[in-house]
Amino acid sequence: MEWEGESSHSVVLVLGLGNPLRRDDGIGPRVIQELQQRDLPEGIEVIDGGTGGLDILRVIEGWENVLVVDAANVDGGRGEIAPGEFVRFTPDEARLGASPEGFSLHHAGLAEALALARALERPLPSIVVFGVQPSDVGWGEGLTPEVEQSLPALCEAVLKEAMQR
Amino acid sequence: MSTLSVNVHHVTRVEGHGNIVVDAQNGEIKECRFEVVEAPRFFEAFVRGRPYTELNHITSRICGICAVGHSTTSAMATEKAMGVKLTEQAQLLRKLNFHGETIDSHVLHTYYLVAPDFFGAGSVFPLIDINRPVVERALRIKKLSGDLCAMVGGRHTHPCALVVGGFSHTPTEDELRAMRKRLVAAREDMDASVELFASLEWPQFERETEYISLSKDDEYAFVGGKIKSTDGFEYPVEEYKQVTNEELVPFSSAKWTSHNRKSYMVGALARFNNNFDQLHPKAKDAAAAFGMEPIVTNPFMNSAAQVVEMVHCVEDAIEIIDELLARGVKPEDPTVADVKAGEGVASCDVPRGILFHHYGYDEEGYCQDANCIIPTNQNMANLNYDMQELLPQIIDKPQDEVRLTLEMLVRAYDPCISCSAHFLTVEFV
Repeated sequence: MEWEGESSHSVVLVLGLGNPLRRDDGIGPRVIQELQQRDLPEGIEVIDGGTGGLDILRVIEGWENVLVVDAANVDGGRGEIAPGEFVRFTPDEARLGASPEGFSLHHAGLAEALALARALERPLPSIVVFGVQPSDVGWGEGLTPEVEQSLPALCEAVLKEAMQR
Repeated sequence: MSTLSVNVHHVTRVEGHGNIVVDAQNGEIKECRFEVVEAPRFFEAFVRGRPYTELNHITSRICGICAVGHSTTSAMATEKAMGVKLTEQAQLLRKLNFHGETIDSHVLHTYYLVAPDFFGAGSVFPLIDINRPVVERALRIKKLSGDLCAMVGGRHTHPCALVVGGFSHTPTEDELRAMRKRLVAAREDMDASVELFASLEWPQFERETEYISLSKDDEYAFVGGKIKSTDGFEYPVEEYKQVTNEELVPFSSAKWTSHNRKSYMVGALARFNNNFDQLHPKAKDAAAAFGMEPIVTNPFMNSAAQVVEMVHCVEDAIEIIDELLARGVKPEDPTVADVKAGEGVASCDVPRGILFHHYGYDEEGYCQDANCIIPTNQNMANLNYDMQELLPQIIDKPQDEVRLTLEMLVRAYDPCISCSAHFLTVEFV
């Protein structure tokens, strides 16, 4: 079980975001679940952040490196992204869908949390996002086959990134 | 006479999606309502057929803001069905975890969703330029409450250590002492919060209604108790359907509820009105700063009651930690359930108001039936009747002002529409 607070010697946090009751939106928590089954190298911690909204900020502050796994509607720039495919990017490389005027905590996620941190000039860790294109984010449990299929490759990519830190 | 058409689609700074629809011609109001539009969630369907150990973890995913509230209420309903008794230590930890979430939710609502209205800011982002220390204070309080939840529940948003029978993990005395210090230090931020919000010009609007919350003989009720109404009624939580009386309305995917009048209100103001005497003295001082004495009938003051409750929760959390330390904190396993067929109803007063979970289990501990009635649903009818009474009082004001005032009224209820919509009802036999 992941446990907040036992992380004083760890250097990389893998944070899974999303709601496992909304099909592919649960990819983040699912990756965390998969990684928990493994013997993780020392220095890597995992947390299922669920739909914590602005709490993301509290969770990531103080870490050197944070790898975020989240469902993401990836659009433009890098060609068409099919459901189940994922892209790796840093927040600087992408315009995240924060909408300052329509700030709704229901939809608050990584984008809003980072926007708030930047607006307040708070120090942030080095962040890498693994955005996974969902096929279905309607109500229901379990990933769609397209996203399920990419799970092993996604976990490997996240772990590889974590071990390079 | 005014001709007015206000249609606010997806009211911002409200959790989820809701629309305000107003149509008035020559001063005559043809339409005035708040609609809920987000698709139903069917969350009871998620728990049916699942083992009793999983329900509180599943229901904690319903809402990222009330995760501890759902998880606690769910575990309590299961514990009732299985006849599980908690240790005193576990009961204290449940309350401590709950206070963390109440502070967290209230600071989010009052500072980030309500305060921008009073500063003429469209959201918390322009508020940073207008009054940066206020936004930073909110984030500081939010960190404290999140850390408090994480210390007890293992994780803030979806408390993994909160299980049927108690907790799978116990915080250490050192952790509790360190948290106590931070809570004591937070008094300064609480004082500043009261000063800030008491200085605001709250909209003036009164409408008498029924206020329903939990109540306890020995404390300001959040976790368990009996159902209490300002109209003088009391019920055990098992009889919740006598209070909720859900009914479908055509324009909303949330059912409306009513009890002694055509609607009732739940939430911080309802708790304040029913349980004022049990507030911590510092919280009573805060109420005095707002000029609040029960029964307060201005729904806009729900947000002020939240500030009062933040003060109470900080003080009560300090007292709970003192009690835990005085008793001596020891790691303990959760009480093991005697798995059997049964039915359980539980209720907690979560940040937005009274919440009910009701489960039926088969002899192997698998959920057969489930019902869950959330606070936002219970407030829908009352909010609509407030809007209908408020609108004629403000209808001659500029359209933007009418629109903002109606939006502020919706926000005052702190609705969480994303979890309020569900069609499934299950009759228990």
